[in-house]
Amino acid sequence: MENINSPVSPKLEDNISTIQARLGNSPDLVIRTYELINRTARVAAIYIAGITDRVMVDDYISHVMSFQALNDHARLAVTPEEVYSYIKENALSIGKEKLVTDINGLLEALLSGDTVILVNGVGGGISGSTCGGEARPVSEAATQVAIRGSKESFTETISTNIALVRKIIKNPDLWTETMKLGDVTHTDITIMYIRGIADEETIQAFKDKLQEIKVDMILESGYIEQIVEDNKYSPFPTMFNTERPDSVAGNLLDGRIAIFVDGTPFVLIAPTTFFMFFHTVEDYYQRYDISSLIRMLRFVCLVISMYGPAIFVAALNFHQEMIPTPLLINLASQREGVPFPAFVEAVLMEVTFEIIREAGVRMPSPIGQTVSIIGGLVLGTAAVQAGIVSPAMVIVVSLTGISSFATPAFNMALSIRMLRFIIMAIAAFMGLYGIAIFTIMLIAHLCSLRSLGVPYMTPIGPFVPGNLKDTFIRSPQSFTRLRKRLVNNSKRSSASPAGKRAAGRKSDER
Amino acid sequence: MNGKGLLRLIAIAVLVLPLGGCWNSRELNELAVVSGIGMDLVPETDEYRVTFQLVNPSSTSTSTSPGSGKPAVVVVSATDKTMFGALRRASKHVTRQLFFAHTQLIVLGEPLARDGINDIFDIFERSHELRLNSEILVARGSDAASVMKLLTPVESLPALGLVKKAQNTSSVWGENRPISVFDVIHGITGEGDLTINAVKINGDAEEGKKKSNLEGSETLTETVMSGLGVFRQGKLIYWMKDSEARGTEWLLNQIEETVLDIDADDKKESVAVNIIYSRTEVKTTIENGLPVFHVTIAEEGSVNETDSFVDLSKREDIMKLEQELEKKTRAEVMQAFHKGQQLESDIFNFGNELKRTNPQEWAALDGDWGRIFAEGKLDLKIKAYIRSTGMSLKPYIPEGK
Repeated sequence: MENINSPVSPKLEDNISTIQARLGNSPDLVIRTYELINRTARVAAIYIAGITDRVMVDDYISHVMSFQALNDHARLAVTPEEVYSYIKENALSIGKEKLVTDINGLLEALLSGDTVILVNGVGGGISGSTCGGEARPVSEAATQVAIRGSKESFTETISTNIALVRKIIKNPDLWTETMKLGDVTHTDITIMYIRGIADEETIQAFKDKLQEIKVDMILESGYIEQIVEDNKYSPFPTMFNTERPDSVAGNLLDGRIAIFVDGTPFVLIAPTTFFMFFHTVEDYYQRYDISSLIRMLRFVCLVISMYGPAIFVAALNFHQEMIPTPLLINLASQREGVPFPAFVEAVLMEVTFEIIREAGVRMPSPIGQTVSIIGGLVLGTAAVQAGIVSPAMVIVVSLTGISSFATPAFNMALSIRMLRFIIMAIAAFMGLYGIAIFTIMLIAHLCSLRSLGVPYMTPIGPFVPGNLKDTFIRSPQSFTRLRKRLVNNSKRSSASPAGKRAAGRKSDER
Repeated sequence: MNGKGLLRLIAIAVLVLPLGGCWNSRELNELAVVSGIGMDLVPETDEYRVTFQLVNPSSTSTSTSPGSGKPAVVVVSATDKTMFGALRRASKHVTRQLFFAHTQLIVLGEPLARDGINDIFDIFERSHELRLNSEILVARGSDAASVMKLLTPVESLPALGLVKKAQNTSSVWGENRPISVFDVIHGITGEGDLTINAVKINGDAEEGKKKSNLEGSETLTETVMSGLGVFRQGKLIYWMKDSEARGTEWLLNQIEETVLDIDADDKKESVAVNIIYSRTEVKTTIENGLPVFHVTIAEEGSVNETDSFVDLSKREDIMKLEQELEKKTRAEVMQAFHKGQQLESDIFNFGNELKRTNPQEWAALDGDWGRIFAEGKLDLKIKAYIRSTGMSLKPYIPEGK
């Protein structure tokens, strides 16, 4: 194929035809040629319409071409080389400009939204960043809503996203590093951290990991998350994602790394601990007592959404003596005439619930609500009246479903949803005994997980007593500690870096 | 964990899961929940007749389908030489497996109680389903089956109703105390003798089985708590009631709350004192080879009603009432104690106390404790206080009327 990289040819026609050939004569490729200095110098401006900012392109080109008028009086340049160096030094209206010497670099610049100026007779081009095009404006967060706090959320444009965080942390130590990943998509990836707070080793290890990635495409941050994950077979997510700049800022200040991917508003955060998924930025905005209670409520909801139906099935099938007598009689009378065993009944209801939920998510939002109302109320009531399921089961399943919405992180909620079915099946086989065994296995597994070398269960295993103030509860001190670290910018004053240090970098040894 | 590890985990799970094999998985609608068990002796044999009160779930009030007018319980009986035999023999009569973990009540028939109960409780200890904390009652003047068959107003489950009745009267009236199977086994294995709450059927037992019995505002046939049955060597020998029963509870430190009517100056038993706190401490000593029981009762009460004039705003009058209260309490306690001595039956737990505090001396007294107890002395100290006079001081009745 002709995709072989070659240097930019001194002949303009050759270059133009190469570019056209490489881009398959794409109609959005715009090539404008100008003859300058009494036709002695031929200059071409090349850009791709749609991904460039029209105003900037016009400005850039007109600025470059204004050279003609100036030159007529001053005779600044005659040869193509002189024209080239004049443009290079005077293409002032553009912030970022660089020189390209080969065709691949030229194409890359074009596809990133740059405008490239070629001069006939010179084997090189000047690329000026004119990237722009249609972008969604910064709007309110759709998935991570906070009652109190910033209403901004990330967009699909990576530069906007980085700027949103910079606006919060105005500190020279907020460093970013950019790379392009995806052999086909050439997606921009930026990692961001605060130098001095984030662990250098972790950053380096993570960068190495990113550089090793060899894939065709990165379409969303989820690709990176799944490629980088230490343990691909774990049901638990080991990276946190958010579309809130304040959440990213808070995590950066905790010594974590943020990974921005162009084209998605979801920014990855690593290293991640299990308990992070149950914290929200709003915990820090509301008063600590309320935040603490709400956090504890979330953990209660975690237990309900994981174990609710399992414990119900276990108690009903194996441990009838555990249920208080009046309740047992009540349940027995409800189950009179229900044709299925409790487990089948539970699975039936849970699956129905999942169907309703999935349908509701994919539906256009006005219809989505109708689906959940019809599904939830009508189906539930009808099933009870038809005697197919017992009312108590409907209560348990709905409570479980609602509890799973109380987990702030959607990806964690999904994991728990999945585990719920496994636990339910085990409960149907072995009762509470099975639930206990599974829980032990689950906890062992959670303790074995690491996210970028940090144990997943920090601060419970390894036990970091200081961090408990900001795990199940949000003590008033956690706030002032955060302030202190920001002011003197000292290394490791609290929170997760302590756990990180204790943990070392074991993940690399595996 | 890598892919291999995951495969291993799945393999382990697949192998381990069926090991449990849901061997004891039972659906709720395959169970017949037993709410009460009645135990009787079949006359002239040594077989037990065991009566089960089974909950009928479809006719309880919570059922989604309206309760079809059937009674909430079904009663079946089975006869066998052993309790467990009878339990299993009952399967001939019921469609579902009996489930005992929610048995609230055990009733012993009077003939069985008179014959002796020492040997029937083994199954309660041994079985993982039967509970040791089920209430136990002894039927006064009837067999246990008739008590089990009786329907109760208000409560849909008769057994539960009886348990609540026993607990309710124990907590506010004090002639009974909650006695569980565990307490009875404790009493049998410990020193001395035991008492069990008695229940009596008022009215026609046959009528009480029918739902029509519950249709009037007044239930013609009903069960009434009726003091205590005194057991000596595991055999029922005497029914204690009223002040005897309450005196016994007093000596056992089981008074939670009770009411004493004490004398005022001008009218007998006209001041109702609600005892809200009572503690009994027992010390035993041996003097001249005979036991002396030093009992200290501290009680506190509040005047809840006076039907004659008592000036409750005066400290002296209150102290007079306190003396009366003490006198009344002493009379009840002494009455119970003398009855116990007369029966040569130590139902007051004195034997256990003596054995615990003075094991050497006890060794000499063991063997003939009943008689020795009967010769023992009671050294009774009572401290009675009146702490409150309710929401008013002087009664509205003028003095001297």
